[in-house]
Amino acid sequence: MSAGETPGHLPPSVRRFTTDCDLPLHQAAYQSPLRDERLAAYLGASLGVLFSLCFVTGLYSHLQQHPQSWLPIPARPAGLYRLTQGIHVASGIASVPVLIAKLWLVWPRFVALPPVKRASHLVERVSLFPLVGGGIFMVFSGVANIAQWYPWRFSFTAAHFWMAWVTIGALVAHVGAKWAISRRALTRPSRRPLLAEPDPVLGTVADRAAAGGSGLSRRGFLGTVATASGVLTVATVGQAFPPLRPLALLAPRDPAFGPQGHPVNRGAVNAGVVDLARSPDYRLTVGGLVTTPLSFDRAELLALPSHEAHLPIACVEGWSFSAAWSGIRVRDLLARAGAARGRTVLVESLEPIGAYRTSTLDPDQAADRDTLLATHLDGQLLAIDHGFPCRLIAPNRAGVLQTKWVTKVTVL
Amino acid sequence: MSVPDDRPQPSDHRAGPAFWVSAALGWTVIAVGLRGLLSHRIDTRPANLATFVAGGALLHDLVIAPAVLLIAVALTRLVPSRARATVQGALLITGVLALFSYPLVRAFGLATHNPTSVPRNYALNLTVVLGLVWAVAAGALIVQLRRRA
Repeated sequence: MSAGETPGHLPPSVRRFTTDCDLPLHQAAYQSPLRDERLAAYLGASLGVLFSLCFVTGLYSHLQQHPQSWLPIPARPAGLYRLTQGIHVASGIASVPVLIAKLWLVWPRFVALPPVKRASHLVERVSLFPLVGGGIFMVFSGVANIAQWYPWRFSFTAAHFWMAWVTIGALVAHVGAKWAISRRALTRPSRRPLLAEPDPVLGTVADRAAAGGSGLSRRGFLGTVATASGVLTVATVGQAFPPLRPLALLAPRDPAFGPQGHPVNRGAVNAGVVDLARSPDYRLTVGGLVTTPLSFDRAELLALPSHEAHLPIACVEGWSFSAAWSGIRVRDLLARAGAARGRTVLVESLEPIGAYRTSTLDPDQAADRDTLLATHLDGQLLAIDHGFPCRLIAPNRAGVLQTKWVTKVTVL
Repeated sequence: MSVPDDRPQPSDHRAGPAFWVSAALGWTVIAVGLRGLLSHRIDTRPANLATFVAGGALLHDLVIAPAVLLIAVALTRLVPSRARATVQGALLITGVLALFSYPLVRAFGLATHNPTSVPRNYALNLTVVLGLVWAVAAGALIVQLRRRA
């Protein structure tokens, strides 16, 4: 159908009311029953919820990796980080079809003319750059990161974190700009508006499906987007949610695939620790604010009193698994060394370089009964990729902070 | 370009205080993000990042959306109207699954030399999932056609 032509089955009054003056071309040129404000509001609200979930859980993950003394991370509940990071990644994945659908609905506005009508319109349009650019970037970079695809030169964590502020700020501005119209659209009775009712925001034309036409109706479109979200979720969430593991055909990781039947974020070869970890010169030392500095070789380490804990390990990339870990409790080690209670503890790896070669335990975590320097996983000596000779494992902690190949414990 | 007076003026409503308060709040948060991006430029590489942020939006607006439009036009020519809604839905799901799976199917994660990256044959798994989607779509089509017959 060419521009300027009126759909034959619609009366002229409908044509008049369904022609969006914001659009540079006649609406009939790309009329679609889908470009509807109610549908846009539904998708926008869904995206708002998903992005907010991602933002809040992302902040928590950032706090874990950048500890603040005024906001210590509690040791319990043990599975909290597993839950929040699982939600972070699952919400991000579920938002892929919603974002695409939302962009499709509002895409003609990309070329809306006149570009600016007044100050508020200018502010609203300028806010769309960080919103659209940021939204696409956040979802793209997150999906690429969980697939361990890095086609860029920046640090993923830094860029993803700061762009999250840009995106959520733009979302706040956008919600304010669209609040009245979305509320009106969402509280409207679910019956179709009368054909002659002015519904010009996204240039609604009469529902062609209802008028005997063809193609997806609004309800069909919304259902398809929800189905796409659902299929993606079911095909991936098993990487964090064990009951759905058999269905996780498109999950980037398999929680039951890897050395000792479990994945790792970084292997011993990548970390450059293979020789150091296997060297007979290996020592675990305990120092800092202690009365008796300690040093153990591998045999002495294995002879220390062992405690077993069932704890999850949850990667920032969204996969997680729970396992039986055993080794000496950190609090027992600290007591042996004569450290005062309530201290922060620095744990160092054999890794020569890397952002995660050290991590700190807040006092609450250091004192927890299940915080271990584990030597065994599921009853077997740790595989080198899992942190042999010993690794930190503690409740409610991001996977990258469960330091592997531990060689030095310092009481701060 | 001026707008003819007889047309509705949807965005001619006056912006209320809620608009300006949320705009001010939103732009304050955006400023926090931009400041963070610039003050951590060793990690964030602003120029490289900007190409990805702008590139993503432009890729969508100038390539993906027009391509979808062309496919939609082709659908109206090639697919009988009775089957169109179902085919559209199945195509949309196919596109989303393919986009998400692209880095997995290409196995980019192998570059990290992590022994547990890329644990599955994603090309095969994507084919299986898409096969299911189209099987369901075909089933729905058959049911619809029978009902109308």
